[in-house]
Amino acid sequence: MDSENLLTIKNLRTHFSVGESVVKAVDGVSFNLEAGKTFAIVGESGSGKSITALSIMGLLPNNLAQTERGEILFDNKNLIDLEENEMRKIRGNRISMIFQEPMTSLNPVYDLSYQISETIILHQKKSKEQARKIAIEMLDLVGIPEPQKRIDSYPHELSGGMRQRAMIAMALSCNPKILIADEPTTALDVTIQAQIIDLMQELQKKLGMSIIFITHDLGVVSEISDHVMVMYLGNVMEIAETSELFNNPLHSYTKSLIDIAPQISEEKRKIKVLKGEIPSPINPPSGCVFRTRCPCPTDNCEKGISKMGLIEAKPGHWVDKCCYECNKND
Amino acid sequence: MIRVENIQKYFPIKDGFFNKKNGDVKAVENVSFEIPEGEILGLVGESGSGKSTLGRSLIRLIEPTNGKIFYNNEDITEFSEKEMRKLRKDFQIIFQDPYASLDPRKKIFDIISQGISIHNKMNKSQIYDKVLEIIKDVGLQEEHLSRYPHEFSGGQRQRIGIARALVLDPKFIIADEPVSALDVTIQAQILNLILALKEKYSLTILFISHDLSVINQIADRVMVMYLGHIVEIANTKNLFSNPKHPYTRSLIETAPQIFRKNKNKTLLKGDIPSPINPPSGCVFRTRCPNPCEGCKNGNIEMGLIEVETGHWVDQCCVNCT
Repeated sequence: MDSENLLTIKNLRTHFSVGESVVKAVDGVSFNLEAGKTFAIVGESGSGKSITALSIMGLLPNNLAQTERGEILFDNKNLIDLEENEMRKIRGNRISMIFQEPMTSLNPVYDLSYQISETIILHQKKSKEQARKIAIEMLDLVGIPEPQKRIDSYPHELSGGMRQRAMIAMALSCNPKILIADEPTTALDVTIQAQIIDLMQELQKKLGMSIIFITHDLGVVSEISDHVMVMYLGNVMEIAETSELFNNPLHSYTKSLIDIAPQISEEKRKIKVLKGEIPSPINPPSGCVFRTRCPCPTDNCEKGISKMGLIEAKPGHWVDKCCYECNKND
Repeated sequence: MIRVENIQKYFPIKDGFFNKKNGDVKAVENVSFEIPEGEILGLVGESGSGKSTLGRSLIRLIEPTNGKIFYNNEDITEFSEKEMRKLRKDFQIIFQDPYASLDPRKKIFDIISQGISIHNKMNKSQIYDKVLEIIKDVGLQEEHLSRYPHEFSGGQRQRIGIARALVLDPKFIIADEPVSALDVTIQAQILNLILALKEKYSLTILFISHDLSVINQIADRVMVMYLGHIVEIANTKNLFSNPKHPYTRSLIETAPQIFRKNKNKTLLKGDIPSPINPPSGCVFRTRCPNPCEGCKNGNIEMGLIEVETGHWVDQCCVNCT
């Protein structure tokens, strides 16, 4: 294993059984997260971004979701094989997560002091008083004014941006190696979003953690990430360094996303369109899953006999092979 | 076509046993503007800036506290309930959340045709033909008419919402964040649909959004709103190439863009203040990157002035810089 890689995911498959059928929410995802870097996962709703994150955290209910085969390697351990009590030592301590909607992910009946201290007491074996002190320092770190006072606030007394800051404080209180951020700025106004992105970048510099940043917004990806993975219907379409992906996209889906993304320009642009909608994951298209919406499918694609799988087109730039081959021949 | 003069909306806060009035939420403050026929006017601002309240006040779904609204040179604030009802079919709204705005117990045909049966005296087969025509215009098929809303995806529901708005041949549409809940590929489809239908049905549209890049794509002119006040109005090109107000500038700079890594953008500090107790003078002064002395003292009067033809900016910011 490359020493720089903090987290390696190999061929992760998370399937849900729904009645008779199986939903392949994540179907063969592999990537590496480097230490101190930000890795973005981008895709439409239903592409499997969040399920990938929840699988890493081991937060999916065992009776519904089956994470079969595949490996999630962290600290020389395969997280999939860990017992629940061992996983609990990692979750919230070495790997922690923040969510999209800070109102629903904070507990409304406890104050911040209790909620932030809880993880510190559990993982760091600190006393209540010490934990409270650390919690106040964390609030200060994430830029909440008057932390001594705010520590006793309840979530409803804070604005959306402040709540997300409190969530970040909570997630970082045990100094994790990896922070998974699942659409952390989607529910926020653009001026607040800019503040939170700025804060996350600053904290990353200070604390040196790696970030997995899930978003549907390519603009945010370009601001924050070092590497990007594009997902569609549970499959990886393309992985590359951020600037490489935007300047030289190889997959038709990535190209469409970049074309479509609304951008501010001085001239009014023609709105480009990708036809159709993301198909149901219960019954995905055979062969390449993107073929039903692809602007330029080949005969093999349309027949549904092309085989998916990533190949390295250039050093560090991985793309689904069937799309790469088609586009190369054009 | 629509002209608004000094419109104002305060929501009273009532409290205690006797419902004593305890202050106001100042949602919209002295707003004046015009929408010429056939225009798409974009209205942009953060949550809590009063965009939706302004939109709804325009067609008196919310009664404005003060001010006048002219529709085709008639003052509709003076209209009675009955006169207003006749006008209602000219005004329609497309809502943000396609999951919440369709009645889950009604079939699509009933959802779309309800407006006709209230306003028009059409017979059944005419109604059916009309609904069929509309549903095809928005890109759905006849078979969809007998289904329920839960059978559709978000994008399709938004198409149904648009069909419902168009079925009465309205003149003026308020699109209140119609694409905010949708994925980017679906968003592009819906924006294109709105543009196509605007031509076909010769509509005038007030397009409300918090997303500047969406506004940039669709609007002819843009109004920027902050805490109940319009701080800048200009045509789209001018606004984006030459924004005058520091709030507009900051919105443009902080919107994340794919091919623009803006390292030294001006971050606005803090949150939008409460509209119950807005800052005195210029409402933006608490977050302004470089407020002048007059702003800080809070005794500046707000109001739009025209700095270039058709480009209006709040005066205190012009005098300041």
